Amino acid sequence: MESSFRRGAREGMRDFLPLSVGLVPWAMVTGIAMRSIGMSPLEAMGMNLLVYAGTAQLGTLPLIGSGAPLWLIFLTAMVLNLRFVIFSATLAPVFHDHRFMRRLASSYLLVDGMFAVGAEKLQRADDPHWRWGYYIVPSVYCWLLWQLCGIVGVFGAAVIPQDWSLEFMTTIALTVMMIPMLRERPMWVAALVGGLGAVLLRELPLRLGLIAGIALGIAAGFVAERALSGRASR
Amino acid sequence: MSEAVMSEGLWLWLTLLAIGSTTIMTRGSFILAGEKGRLPPALQRALRYAPAAALSALVMPDLLLDGAGVDPFNPKLAAGLVVVVVATRWRNPWLPFLLGMAVLLVLRKGAGW
Repeated sequence: MESSFRRGAREGMRDFLPLSVGLVPWAMVTGIAMRSIGMSPLEAMGMNLLVYAGTAQLGTLPLIGSGAPLWLIFLTAMVLNLRFVIFSATLAPVFHDHRFMRRLASSYLLVDGMFAVGAEKLQRADDPHWRWGYYIVPSVYCWLLWQLCGIVGVFGAAVIPQDWSLEFMTTIALTVMMIPMLRERPMWVAALVGGLGAVLLRELPLRLGLIAGIALGIAAGFVAERALSGRASR
Repeated sequence: MSEAVMSEGLWLWLTLLAIGSTTIMTRGSFILAGEKGRLPPALQRALRYAPAAALSALVMPDLLLDGAGVDPFNPKLAAGLVVVVVATRWRNPWLPFLLGMAVLLVLRKGAGW
């Protein structure tokens, strides 16, 4: 007789495994990108452990590399991670009967892929042991995959010649992340205003232009959504 | 090791800790509180636009600016456009990196742009 934890774990792995293959290039690119701004292998592996969030890692690398102030780096990481507040609110009922340490582990391990694949099943399942198995086993597997492939990238970066503009990998990665978001028109508006805002406001002191551009982009997306839905309902 | 390098190392670790704290603060926001939390719907909708706005605000200056000014004809923008086309047409996750870097290197080194 198989325990419900193991049944959950088996189903979670079956759902998550196909998606996890796509993580391999990301983890390696992130490893290479961290080395490209001059971080040591130890610092790069430390960042993978401490941050464990590809978007926030890649997004803050250009800022760290150019010596931006700490508050700007912190704010940018916060904005890039804000979507997790929505995920956390969605999954909170799933974990509310677990002890604090388990909830801490679930929080640290919460990534986009696992949320996309499992949020619905987790919310529907009644058995807390099944839910725990379904979430924690693929999440730990994902963490191991990210760390190991990251190490491959961190040490692989040394083989690539120095003058190959490797820092551009970060820009490629951020561009590729953005593309699937641009399915709706308000998202386009948010991205366009955010990007052009950051370009046009770049002369602002303390590199405030980045944060101002992001704020304008969020506001523009929100306004566009209102305007478009208002027109559709009329 | 000189003192400047030491403090730079410490500063970097502090920075990494600060970035890491945003991971726990956002992912744990409702899960750690342990109660059935609810986000105001308007805020939830506005937050959806944060990643797209932020990614674009990081990418566009790098693609459009060459030196101090806006330059619509530069190798990074050309490589960026190739990345967009490749990523929208094919699902292979390696391809945007390989072709994007290839275009940039060919234009910079081969064509001396």
